[in-house]
Amino acid sequence: MLVRGCAGSEFRHSLAERTKALAAKCHALRSPAHQRDQRSAERRRTKNRKSQTRWYVKQPTWRLWGEERVDGAIYTVYLKKVRYHRPTRSASSESDDEISHLEWETVRVRFVKAGTVERLVEALATDDGELESTYVNVFLATYRSFAECSRVLDLLLRRYEALAMEDVHPAAIDTSQQHRKTLVACLHVWLDTYPEDFRQLPHHPALQQLLAFTQLHLPGSELHSKVLQKLAVFSAERNGGAAGGVCLAPGMRVAAHHTCAYRLPHVPHRHFAEQLTRMDMELFKKLVPHQCLGAVWSRRDKDRSHDAATVLATVNQFNAVSFRVISTVLVEPNLRPVDRSDILAAWLDIARELRVLKNFSSLKAIISGLQSNPVYRLRKTWALLSKEKAELFEELARIFSEDNNRWAQRELLMREGTAKFADTVGENDKQLQKLLHERGSPGVSNGTIPYLGTFLTDLTMIDTAIPDTVADGLINFDKRRKEFEVLAQIKLLQGAANAYHLPTDPMFDRWFDSVIVLDDREAYQLSCQIEPPTNPPKERRPKKLNDNNNHGHRKNDSIASTSSSNSSQFYCETDGVGNAWKRDSLERRISPTRLSHGSSSSSIPSLDVSLSSANSGQKPANGKIASTSPAHPNARSGPDFYIIRVTYESDCVETEGVVLYKSIMLSNNERTPQVIRNAMLKLNLDGDPDGYTLAQVLPDKEMVLPANANVYYAVNTAYNLNFILRLRKSQQEEAIVNGKTKNKRT
Amino acid sequence: MREYKIVVLGSGGVGKSALTVQFVQGIFVEKYDPTIEDSYRKQVEVDGQQCMLEILDTAGTEQFTAMRDLYMKNGQGFVLVYSITAQSTFNDLQDLREQILRVKDKDDVPMVLVGNKCDLEAERVVGKQQGANLANHFNCVFMETSAKAKISVNEVFYDLVRQINKKSPKEENKKRIKKPLTCQLL
Repeated sequence: MLVRGCAGSEFRHSLAERTKALAAKCHALRSPAHQRDQRSAERRRTKNRKSQTRWYVKQPTWRLWGEERVDGAIYTVYLKKVRYHRPTRSASSESDDEISHLEWETVRVRFVKAGTVERLVEALATDDGELESTYVNVFLATYRSFAECSRVLDLLLRRYEALAMEDVHPAAIDTSQQHRKTLVACLHVWLDTYPEDFRQLPHHPALQQLLAFTQLHLPGSELHSKVLQKLAVFSAERNGGAAGGVCLAPGMRVAAHHTCAYRLPHVPHRHFAEQLTRMDMELFKKLVPHQCLGAVWSRRDKDRSHDAATVLATVNQFNAVSFRVISTVLVEPNLRPVDRSDILAAWLDIARELRVLKNFSSLKAIISGLQSNPVYRLRKTWALLSKEKAELFEELARIFSEDNNRWAQRELLMREGTAKFADTVGENDKQLQKLLHERGSPGVSNGTIPYLGTFLTDLTMIDTAIPDTVADGLINFDKRRKEFEVLAQIKLLQGAANAYHLPTDPMFDRWFDSVIVLDDREAYQLSCQIEPPTNPPKERRPKKLNDNNNHGHRKNDSIASTSSSNSSQFYCETDGVGNAWKRDSLERRISPTRLSHGSSSSSIPSLDVSLSSANSGQKPANGKIASTSPAHPNARSGPDFYIIRVTYESDCVETEGVVLYKSIMLSNNERTPQVIRNAMLKLNLDGDPDGYTLAQVLPDKEMVLPANANVYYAVNTAYNLNFILRLRKSQQEEAIVNGKTKNKRT
Repeated sequence: MREYKIVVLGSGGVGKSALTVQFVQGIFVEKYDPTIEDSYRKQVEVDGQQCMLEILDTAGTEQFTAMRDLYMKNGQGFVLVYSITAQSTFNDLQDLREQILRVKDKDDVPMVLVGNKCDLEAERVVGKQQGANLANHFNCVFMETSAKAKISVNEVFYDLVRQINKKSPKEENKKRIKKPLTCQLL
């Protein structure tokens, strides 16, 4: 029965292509010997049709043709246009007669869409008996979600036996033999790639079964010796006890001849980043990709936690790094603010090195630690960071923005995943640009360690959204292909992680283990000890600390010394405009009344017993932990400035989607002409300020400011402080004629 | 069009992802791709007003504990999900709520308590009244849903939109959402 192609064909097409490309890449990484399979299989397939054709196959174009149903399986059928190119004369020794002059033809290709386990195992070899490496990879990476190892092995071996016993037509004997060869190749790939499947303690039944099979059918073959070898390895491991698996903490093995210990902030940043990367790398290389599958990871429960042990280990390490950030910043409540901000700076320096090392796991862990509420709310501490460091934080945090489904980090991983060096920076990432420029092209190449969470979410979502089975209860193999796209990326990166060559520093490990871990509440209480909760709440953060999108907020003491002409202070307002506007409105909505928010700032919770007990027996956090913190500056009743955003609008040449604006300071004695002058200066406009009007953009209208108003008091602070600067009607035409309207807004 | 950032929180295995997928895509979509930019965005009409909902689903990353604060900081409304078939997932929510209030530094945050998997009545261990009591304690709305059977899924999100509107009205923001704005340094 045939079902014509329908909507979604493009999707399928690209899906198939992408999976193929990824599979080929990852396959090549894992075993270079199989590298050519993909192409050679394709070439052979065409060769069968045109036995004399030795032309190079290039640029296939795919078109969905429809679905084909057989008993127990559904196939998606594509028509592939294959173009042939004549090889150069020297490359071919054949005479002209032997070369077909066919230029292109259309080949029919089937992919299994869904099927019974039996059918899926059969499909490991194509109709011609060839190895379909993409399919084999997808199958072996994902089969655990629909069948047990023993069942698949059983089917595979039985299939082989059936083929061997089959009374085949002499003409088809080649195909039958090829088919068996392919099954053996699958077994090789399986053993090499997923040896864990065969461990099955204590007696390795699957491996035993395979041994019996090879003894009978393939004695003395490569497969036979491979099985014997695997058996020997497993039994050696069993007898040798913990020899293979457990890695003793390095700190225990090396003589403790280092007496000094690391102490933040005075630590070697690069070294710390390398050591964190070393820890991550060890775990990442051990990660078993198929444990990330939604069916395993997101459906884990206590009884099955070991099923995802390698994923959990990665997650635990991530948390451990975040906890260390939080803990080192908070654990000594009596530190001078400037010393505490040095610790923030040290972590930022380490994070910067992690960016160079392309370790996105620990990088995100540090950023998350810094963005965790107990640390992030320490306004005074953050305010003491240098401008460069604050910018750096912005730029690093931007990598992990949740906006647009984490587009930024996906894009970055795509570009740098298997590249040798970090080399991608946004045009607004000043600090990172500087960094990469300073470093030039490093002598050694680095691997990449991804933040695993994105993959885990994607796989969970795929698992949820796409059903396991299709009509008639057939296993939905397209779902597995989809999952494999993600798994293949992970595998690819695992291969790339081999590029790291990092020494082990036992002293670092000791430091890492020695840091006290605070739980959520303890951390928050310590944080409140350091800086008591203020009123209004903390959404009011200094501009340079990540709330750059929060316009119209009032400046607080800590940065009030910056003059209004200091434009670089607000550099970040010109980037990510779309998001800025979005988040701005968001935060305003969250706390519409934040300036008049009435909460108790006097009741500073003193540390409770749980914290003291958590600290007892460990490195004392600080004896004077419960002392009251220094009085925070008297709550300001009214700010001296607003920061407003001004856009210049002209009616000519509309540029779709482009918004240009500048932020300026608005102090409480500035009148309209002065504000216009400031805005013009920032926007690079010359001319007479009287020729312009200024209006605040309100949700449903614009409020044009009177010619000589005190703007500070005239603005409506209930809304975002977004303004439009416009030429007065009469001047406008003149300006266009003069070509002065360089700034456009839609 | 106004944009709403909604965060779905809850322990692993409670069906958060199913709620999100059901709401955003409708389940059983062959075309589903979780990696594209607008996989978690949906435009809906609530009370005659067009809204763009952006859902942040924490599915798969529940155990990255240090990241929760950021989710919470960015979210405007919260869906706290437990499964009516697992008591522990219900118990976990108390801490999550406290954390939200702490991060938001407010006593009142738009929130809906959701008992999911209500199609599995036979496996129920958390009674409806228990859920209602907790919601009472949280001072928030309570709903039992089934992502699988498509029961009350949209209502959860609509209710949050209404709550957000109520708490911060007239924040109409006239900006484009479809097309990401580009910017240019002067």
